[in-house]
Amino acid sequence: MLTRKFPEAFVERYSRFIPDFDAFQDAMQRPLRRTFRVNTLKATRDQVLELMADLKPEPLPWFELGFSLPENGDSPGEGTRPQSDATNASRMCPQREDARYSSHFPSIGKRIEHFIGLVYVQEAASMVPPLVLRPQPGERVLDIAAAPGSKTTEMSAMMENTGIIISNDPSPTRVRGLIGNVDRAGCMNVAVCRMDGASLGRAVARTCDRVLVDAPCSSEGTIRKSAQALDRWSVAAIERFPSIQKRLIIAGYLALRPGGVMVYSTCTIAPEENESVVAHLLARQPEAELQEAELPGLKMRPGLAEWEHESFPEAVSRCRRILPQDNDTEPFFLALIRKGDSSPHPSPLGGGGERSEGEKAAGRGA
Amino acid sequence: MNRRVRELSERFGIPAETLDRLAAVEEQETVFVGTPEVMEFDAVRPMRRGIRLARVYPYSLKPTTFGMQVLGGHATRNVIDLSDEQAKLLINGGSLSTDVEADNGFVLVRWRGFVVGVGFYKRPVLKSQIPRFRPVE
Repeated sequence: MLTRKFPEAFVERYSRFIPDFDAFQDAMQRPLRRTFRVNTLKATRDQVLELMADLKPEPLPWFELGFSLPENGDSPGEGTRPQSDATNASRMCPQREDARYSSHFPSIGKRIEHFIGLVYVQEAASMVPPLVLRPQPGERVLDIAAAPGSKTTEMSAMMENTGIIISNDPSPTRVRGLIGNVDRAGCMNVAVCRMDGASLGRAVARTCDRVLVDAPCSSEGTIRKSAQALDRWSVAAIERFPSIQKRLIIAGYLALRPGGVMVYSTCTIAPEENESVVAHLLARQPEAELQEAELPGLKMRPGLAEWEHESFPEAVSRCRRILPQDNDTEPFFLALIRKGDSSPHPSPLGGGGERSEGEKAAGRGA
Repeated sequence: MNRRVRELSERFGIPAETLDRLAAVEEQETVFVGTPEVMEFDAVRPMRRGIRLARVYPYSLKPTTFGMQVLGGHATRNVIDLSDEQAKLLINGGSLSTDVEADNGFVLVRWRGFVVGVGFYKRPVLKSQIPRFRPVE
């Protein structure tokens, strides 16, 4: 377990609304289980279980293709963390692995099954947004902030390699990792883009059946994987993100066809990056319908009614928070949003933040 | 069917119906294969559509590791089955000596029923064509 204390400001902020805060702190100090997902584009669940029987994978109670691995037998040491999907960690965390931690969990990344893409190493909570979004075969799906591709590849399998996933990330470095994972997973229904998310939302406006906005965030959830994430934690770090998150949620909504469905998710706790962002969308698009996400076997808690000086619309309580003490995962937030059938065309930027250089140059969206 | 795809299909005995639902494009000496929706997507210019299937050289067509991992599962010709140790050796960039029924040239290498990637066979030497990523143990 981590033995270092959480910053005072962290405790002060989150003890105000996280239920059973002692259990939350205990869970956040426990090392995160190593988890993986079976890639059904390449193998069946039974085939993978037979090949990896030596690792004794244990099924996640809420996802038949998700598994966790037992520790090697020793208790994990102080400040250690597992190798895991870097979906969220890499946005804030340049380091990828704490070697002290790895030795306590069986390695998957060096196995043949991983090399040929039969499995994808992915944090358990990170598997949830696609399960809630439920993309169907033949549909058009937008994953607006996709790198490194855990959720794109999960959705590709759910869609049985049909239809199209427009999988985007603006970062040249991160998009390379995205392409690598799309290749390894064998996704033939993916078009990879490297664009500003707001520009892409405009380009595919009102055409997508489903949209995933797994937004860049302050990644407080990764504290279970990284002692350094705790060192970097500050309110100032949180304040960097809501502007881009608001732009992306508006862009994602713009991309939806009427009646389409969107999931907004983050791996962070801060209400500024979660409920406030959803409330921003509702204020801009009153016809947007928040729906209650359910996943049998997974405990989720309702969204907050207020935070500091902001009271949220009642519908925001339909957002869902996944807490580490409930399911032994990272903390996670998600909102399931349906676009009204008579939804008007939203303004291109929705007033959610600053325009990108490209948008300014194009002179659009003012 | 794209002629490059047909060429690979014939060499490895991949049934045409496996490839019928897919579309292929050739750009910059590379053949990409994907769903028709991906290949027809033109709202923006993607960096990548589908997956790389093959590299086109003046006198040959070199299938890719990841393309063959997906589409090679139904191959019936020029496939070499590997033991655990042989598979690790090839994934890590090695070569091995084996006398098997396969034409000289590019072959698919298979481990426990799954295509691992591509090798180059010149009897009796099987040389890995698998790009080296992290080593497999």
